[in-house]
Amino acid sequence: MSQLLLAVVLLLGAGAGAVLLSRWPRLADRAYVTLLLAGAAVGVAEAVLVLRSGAVSATLSGSLPGGPWVFGLDPLSAWFLLPILGVGAAAGTFGVGYLGFERGHRPVAATHGLFIVLLLGLVGVVSAQAVVPFLAAWEIMAISAYLLVMHEHEQAEVRRAGLVYITLTHLSTLALIGMFAALSVNATGRSFTELGLGNQTPGSARSVALGLALVGFGLKAGAVPLHFWLPGAHAAAPSHVSAVLSGVMLKVGIYGLFRLMSLVGAPPPWFGWALFGVGLVSGVLGVVWALAQHDLKRLLAYHSVENIGIILLGMGVGVLGVAHGQPAVALLGFTGALLHTLNHALFKSLLFLGAGAVYRATGRRIIDQLGGLGRCMPWTALAFGVGSIAIVGLPPLNGFVSEWTVFQGLLASGASGEPLRYAVVGAAGLGLIGALALACFTKLDGTLFLGHSRSAVPGARPARDPGAVMLAPMLTLSGLCLAIGMLPVAVLRPARLIVAGLAIGADGGALAATAWQADAMRVTVLGGGLLAMILLLLMARHWLAAGAVARVAPTWGCAGAVSTPRMQYTASSYAALLLAAFGPLAGTHISRTADTFHSSVVDPVQDGAVLPAWRLLCRTGDRLRGIQGGRLRWYLLLVIFTLVALLFYLTKAGRAS
Amino acid sequence: MTGLHELLLLCVVLTNFWVLGTTRLSSTIRATAIQGMLLALLPIALHPSWSAHTLGLAGGTFLVKTVILPSFLAWAIREAAVRREIEPLIGYSASLALGAAAVALSFGIAQRIPLPESDSTLLIPVALSTVMVGLLVLTTRNKALSQVVGYLVLENGIFVFGLSQVERVPFLVELGVLLDIFVGIFIMGIVVFHINRAFDSLDSTRLTELKD
Amino acid sequence: MIIGPLLTLLLVLAVAPALPGLATRTRALLTGRRGAPVLQLYRDLARLFRKNVVYSRSTTAVFRIGPVVVIATVLAAAALLPLDGHAALLSFSGDLVAFTGLLGLGRFALVLAGLDTGSSFEGMGASREVTVSAFAEPALFLCLTVLVLATGELSLAGMLGERLAAVWPGAAPSLVLAAAALFMLALAETSRVPVDDPATHLELTMIHEVIVLDHSGPELGMILFGNAVKLALFGALVTGVLVPLGQLPRWLTPVVLLAGLGVVAVGVGIVESCMARLRMNRVPQFLVAASALAVFGVILLLR
Repeated sequence: MSQLLLAVVLLLGAGAGAVLLSRWPRLADRAYVTLLLAGAAVGVAEAVLVLRSGAVSATLSGSLPGGPWVFGLDPLSAWFLLPILGVGAAAGTFGVGYLGFERGHRPVAATHGLFIVLLLGLVGVVSAQAVVPFLAAWEIMAISAYLLVMHEHEQAEVRRAGLVYITLTHLSTLALIGMFAALSVNATGRSFTELGLGNQTPGSARSVALGLALVGFGLKAGAVPLHFWLPGAHAAAPSHVSAVLSGVMLKVGIYGLFRLMSLVGAPPPWFGWALFGVGLVSGVLGVVWALAQHDLKRLLAYHSVENIGIILLGMGVGVLGVAHGQPAVALLGFTGALLHTLNHALFKSLLFLGAGAVYRATGRRIIDQLGGLGRCMPWTALAFGVGSIAIVGLPPLNGFVSEWTVFQGLLASGASGEPLRYAVVGAAGLGLIGALALACFTKLDGTLFLGHSRSAVPGARPARDPGAVMLAPMLTLSGLCLAIGMLPVAVLRPARLIVAGLAIGADGGALAATAWQADAMRVTVLGGGLLAMILLLLMARHWLAAGAVARVAPTWGCAGAVSTPRMQYTASSYAALLLAAFGPLAGTHISRTADTFHSSVVDPVQDGAVLPAWRLLCRTGDRLRGIQGGRLRWYLLLVIFTLVALLFYLTKAGRAS
Repeated sequence: MTGLHELLLLCVVLTNFWVLGTTRLSSTIRATAIQGMLLALLPIALHPSWSAHTLGLAGGTFLVKTVILPSFLAWAIREAAVRREIEPLIGYSASLALGAAAVALSFGIAQRIPLPESDSTLLIPVALSTVMVGLLVLTTRNKALSQVVGYLVLENGIFVFGLSQVERVPFLVELGVLLDIFVGIFIMGIVVFHINRAFDSLDSTRLTELKD
Repeated sequence: MIIGPLLTLLLVLAVAPALPGLATRTRALLTGRRGAPVLQLYRDLARLFRKNVVYSRSTTAVFRIGPVVVIATVLAAAALLPLDGHAALLSFSGDLVAFTGLLGLGRFALVLAGLDTGSSFEGMGASREVTVSAFAEPALFLCLTVLVLATGELSLAGMLGERLAAVWPGAAPSLVLAAAALFMLALAETSRVPVDDPATHLELTMIHEVIVLDHSGPELGMILFGNAVKLALFGALVTGVLVPLGQLPRWLTPVVLLAGLGVVAVGVGIVESCMARLRMNRVPQFLVAASALAVFGVILLLR
């Protein structure tokens, strides 16, 4: 615990250094990066220690409003601390280079300081072991994220995104307060251990708590239909902040759900089916809506919705396994969900950092205006390519490992009895999600990095790879993606231990202890064999082509015609065929006249349901305003009417008693 | 190994999918003809007793469902010179997906409906799913002839349902079914003839022009 | 223990280029022509590997690596199948996810190699290819779900091995439906009629052919070989589901496997000669029909 405190102090030092030394930019940047990396290293070491030893580390409590503030790290917290500090360090380092250009006209030092506050809020959320510090850290995290989202607040779009975000995050905080209130009905104190003692909350309070948790944590995680704050906020924030928002902050919603389950014990089946349904719907709709986007960062944000859907799907399978007495299924589901939180943090932040590099180099975010960047930004293209393969869930990278585990859980449920067997159709849904993600990322990579630029401005400086301070985090994250994909045993073991430690009946006691290890080692063999085969075939090809001369010619353009960059497929036309099959669900809005064609993208939940409901509410409110016309007579009549109604109620109540 | 009657019932479900997925009207009529043939064989497969009762039922069903009705509908197609269905209300992929969902639903609820024991565990689910598919075709297709085909599929579903109760109510079910079909032909003939004469087409969306 | 599966795998790889030739020859004979010889693809591959290569000016390293990844992934996927009915070269619980993932990786590389040329033809082909695969993937998972539900095993070697022979009589209708859906998927994944016509010359009507429009020489040879092996893999799946190889004596399984592959290839040829290529917006409908068949098979096993 003292090590975590040291890490916190180092992070605070980094923030203070960035703010206080802002008069000497290079010194400030060096101090910031050094202290940030040091703090993250210390924290990660502590987390790995907790994961390996499997023990709860010492707590520190103080006397503060709301009872003693207890902090501590157990394996579940340590698992979530890994992406917080790891991705936070990578993104912070990237941010130093990313925001370096803006030092003149924006408060860059304040942004760095706020970034540290965000990281500290996240650390606080996962290490809090009592209600009040949890909520306090939650609020700190939410508000600092809001301030970071409003970085470019002179744009109306950014202000609107910030407004939607802050409204909804407070809705989630409200739901969480209600949830903790329901959980504390019979509890003696407000620390988590006291809340979880013997699971004494009555059944109805438990259902209320679970429902509110779905709303509160689901909203924070970005599950459909409460996701619509996500694309705006993640697109508006600076790219390194988006990496943390998308990769880490969404995961505290998942952490909350896991923590809740360890507090109330095994949830009822309806909760599992709710998670399953929400996960499946979020996964499919998230990726369909991502396909339709024209903006690079909004597209990546919608993919976060999809991946949260996959995580919720795994958790749903886990809860259903526990509820129906199938510990093996539950173990697989929960392990897959936990793994995917870590893996998604890694590859999503990698993708956002890559997007930031592209934006810095070209100044554009609309995909259809870019192209051919692979030639001039090869390292960024490589890192982005690794992130793309990982997010689609293809071997041999880490996305495959977590999706494979969730698949195993879904398929294993088919071997159980009713009604758990019906969950097996989730496997087909997950397959659909993967195929749609493949479509979306081939579109993204092909349009951004391959071919030629679609809107080349003559005489403009060509895009270049970013400097080392921005490239190193991207390559580190790519390396981690590859490492986890090639060696899944390393992450499967701690994840399984955590799930068993939740003590809700998801231990794999029935499973042979070494069967999963052998399977994981065979995945390593598969990955290694694949890479070896690719290398061998490349060498064979090189040897085959040793003497021959390769001619270079223009691309085939159909018998003499030369293809211009403007003739390339755009991202919108690439996705149009697939989106047409989904009809109005896809959210593309097409307006056509005799000689123009315009397609725009709307979020079906926000623009189809929430905004019309909001406008209806406003109109009703306007009509009701007539009551307050300023006429004294009406006010007097209202008072008399209320008095009569109260007297009537009292007589009725009197007669009843 | 599954018995012959189960195999026939499975093929009935496959013909339902055929009706849902194809765009050509002659193909849908062929599908109902084959469905009629399967249903004609079904009583014999369920009660292999070769009694006059069963054989009569099978022969009558075959005559009506496989010979008379499809040839009548084929005549109607030639008279009205229609070839393909225009784009239906919900699209073919969605129709197929809904049909699969209807099959899943009927298998799911068939166990919970309180019915007396029937000879085969597949009869009730297949009957329910055929009724649902018939209703789906009836409501979502635009051409009058497609709607007639949907009505025929609906009748077939009711027929399968009746087969599960045929032991208990001798002759009444058969008479009811055959009368139904007779009335159906009669109405269908009049309607098709009149629609064609009045509008020179069999597009039922144009029936809204009747009001003025 | 590894010799049997390895030998069967090499046998299938050696025979694979004959299958597209068999399909094309069947189609030609049924439409009244003589057609190319069955072993034509072997000669084509030999010729292509001897040729020089022409690269497009717009391409980068992605174009050169793509075909290599296609072949490597197809070979790795073949290693996961129990081609001799008893064991696979590599098998673990849930390896059917690795099977589809490897085919997906191959598709990813192929599509990116096509988009690398910056041509609108390849873009169109890539768009169509990912649309077809988006609808084919759930259908493939539903077929594999039928196998999982029938046998209770989670690895391909278990699903298509001895256990399948034991449960075959009870689950026959579902397995036949799954085999039919797998056949339809084979047509989609290897770009045969009614999804894509391999014999057309019009670029605007192609899917797979047009993605590889700018490939030449050994790269094109690698892609053609990969496609032939994919047809062999799907043929082996269909054969394995319909005739469980696990129950046959060891010496008979390669014979039955080859016969099954031949029957599937001839079946592809028959379908190609009977049907016309579907319109582009009807292709998802074809795959939804395959999914519906597989879903029906799943429903029969779930009740």
